[in-house]
Amino acid sequence: MTRTRKPGVSRRATLAMMGAGALTFASPWLARAQAKTIKIGMPTILSGRVAQLGTSSRNAVMLEIEKVNAAGGLAGRQIEMVIRDSKGQPQEAARVARELVNTDGCEILIDAEASSGAFAVHEVARDLGVLCLHTNSETSALSADPKQHIPNAFRTARQGVHDSIVGGSYAAAIAKAKGLKKWATCSPDYAYGRDTTGEFVTYLKRFAPDIEIISESWPKLFQPDYTEVVTKILQAKPQALYSCLWGGDLTSYIDQANIYALFSQMEVFAVNMADYTALTVVKNLPKGIHSGNRYIKTYPATPENAAWGDAYKAKYNEYPTNWSWENATAIMLLAEASKKANSADGKKIAEAMRGLKIKSPFGADGTVTMRAEDQTLVGYAIGWGTTIPQEPYVPQVQAGDWKTIFELEAEWKKSKGYT
Amino acid sequence: MTELQADQGAQALEIPHAQAKTQRNRDALIALAVFVVLALLPTVFSSKLLLDFVIRCAAYGLFATSLNLLVGYTGLISFGHGMFFGLGAYGFGLMMQKTGVPVPVAFIATLVITFVVALVIGAICVRLKEIYFAFVTLAFQMLIHSTILSWVSLTGGDQGLRGGIPRPPFLGIDLSNQLHLYVASCALLVIGLYLMHRIAQSPFGYTLRMIRDNAMRASFIGIDVWRAKLTIFVLAALFASTGGIIMALFVSGAYPEFAYWTISGEGIFINMLGGVTTFLGPMVGTVLLLILNDTVTRLTEYHGLVLGIVILFFAIGLRKGLMDFVVEWYAQRRNNAGERG
Repeated sequence: MTRTRKPGVSRRATLAMMGAGALTFASPWLARAQAKTIKIGMPTILSGRVAQLGTSSRNAVMLEIEKVNAAGGLAGRQIEMVIRDSKGQPQEAARVARELVNTDGCEILIDAEASSGAFAVHEVARDLGVLCLHTNSETSALSADPKQHIPNAFRTARQGVHDSIVGGSYAAAIAKAKGLKKWATCSPDYAYGRDTTGEFVTYLKRFAPDIEIISESWPKLFQPDYTEVVTKILQAKPQALYSCLWGGDLTSYIDQANIYALFSQMEVFAVNMADYTALTVVKNLPKGIHSGNRYIKTYPATPENAAWGDAYKAKYNEYPTNWSWENATAIMLLAEASKKANSADGKKIAEAMRGLKIKSPFGADGTVTMRAEDQTLVGYAIGWGTTIPQEPYVPQVQAGDWKTIFELEAEWKKSKGYT
Repeated sequence: MTELQADQGAQALEIPHAQAKTQRNRDALIALAVFVVLALLPTVFSSKLLLDFVIRCAAYGLFATSLNLLVGYTGLISFGHGMFFGLGAYGFGLMMQKTGVPVPVAFIATLVITFVVALVIGAICVRLKEIYFAFVTLAFQMLIHSTILSWVSLTGGDQGLRGGIPRPPFLGIDLSNQLHLYVASCALLVIGLYLMHRIAQSPFGYTLRMIRDNAMRASFIGIDVWRAKLTIFVLAALFASTGGIIMALFVSGAYPEFAYWTISGEGIFINMLGGVTTFLGPMVGTVLLLILNDTVTRLTEYHGLVLGIVILFFAIGLRKGLMDFVVEWYAQRRNNAGERG
């Protein structure tokens, strides 16, 4: 016997579909009905090659949000984070950011996107006028270029040009002391790699004019095999090598260069070395690699910073990354600005945040400042040191001088036609 | 071929011109009706999510449907169709940023650029068959992508076109207003789909199907296969470029990801999802993929897993796109009903 059934969609299916449809369109209003709490939206990269950094951004934010909420929230309103994956695609980052504001009712955005994604979210912030804190993009133009400037967007991350100035002056001092004249560079072949290397070399030559670049290598981003690059550098016989490879690329490079004993033949300056994601992954970390600090709990060597690093480690069972402190700073600034404005309103917080100086475990002198003129973070701990194979990995970090940074940064801005 | 089918074929050839004209009018009426419904949607639902969703559907829908003109109608499996999406976005964005011409001028100029580029690339590619065609289109895509990445002074490299795309109002249309952009995107989508449907239903469209099924026979009866393939390659590129322009307006920028192979991959995936044997298959696929993407990303960060399972379901389970499945199921039901009657 066959079951008889009327053709067409059954009543039950129709009801189910209508219900699902109603829920889809009603969910934003249901969400908005639970007022009082304030929602902060955060698009970030939780899948793909840099997922580890996105996750560490989320971890740091949640760590700080707990503290802020325990202390009463933003002007009495408890914070609820809505964190969503953008897959590292700018069009997804823009879509997610719009969705977070328009549909989920987020009143503030933490833009934890890298590179092009940050610029895409910046346009959303420009369009919607929502308060937006860029936490991961280190591209100087994001805040330095006046065309980018909007009153509601801030950056709480380090900046490429600051790194280059400090790195250049540090490396030049060592070059002079040790007589390093012949240099080679090896950096990933995309805008970040090219720009950062170019700026580093500019400042290196400025402080030590008799330096010569005898070899340049531009391996592809995410290249698995560096044999060719390593042998090319060895053949050129430079006295020093600069690299801004990062993450997995840097660790594979070091592992492969170790086989050729590259590190005993020249001084190596790798700006992105002193980050736990690289330090703890390299198999045999060579002694004496010069590196800029990304995040390391022993620099600044203060109890506050060590405590913050340990608290993070205790909670997530891994050390924070460069992106972690940048995201934590965003929440700290937000909380202080909201306190100062005595409001959770985006416009008032933005007003209070301009020029705001707060106590911070990541500050060069225990404080960081949101510079009013270009709404970007200054005064954070920035310095260079050399590695040892075990904890604390970079025992002594030589601090960069913020006075020099400001002078040269102003000059750089002028040369770019930004001021 | 059975006698019955041969009979039907003979009848099809005898369609008088008047009938073709009514068909065309009917298409135009449907297009107009769809546009009116879409344009009135915001008055019923005030959800901004819906506006964003439809704008993105317009961008991807035009892109995927134009890809289907190649894949489904002509049998040209292009792995590099995304380059025209990226070209549209960059062409339009740069034009607006650097020259400050009115929006319609930039729109037309972008299409002209796409036309020229597609003509050159197409002239080289369409001579090749199957996997060779697929790989050479992919190679051209990577060439364009690499050019965008390395020509930093013009394109901004991997940071993309920064500083927003200016859009001065024209004819009372202000594209920086979300509602205006929505209506404009709907108009472009509907006009694009209408034109593509006309192409698919024209004698030229049937020539393409013949080339797909048997290129040699087509050339024996006097069809210039290379020229037909090149024509559809260029036409498809123009629609893909229009999709790119909509996307550039939506994100107010252009990024190298728009010209990366993953966009082409998404286009192929949309076609698999919706089905390539019906005209509306890719449009259905677009809506389906975007709904899936948006809801799954909201719910879990393991969206890759969910989408992977969906692909497997369609590839191994259904072995065809959703629209193919629906059309077959509907035809079968009608047959059954006919037998019973």
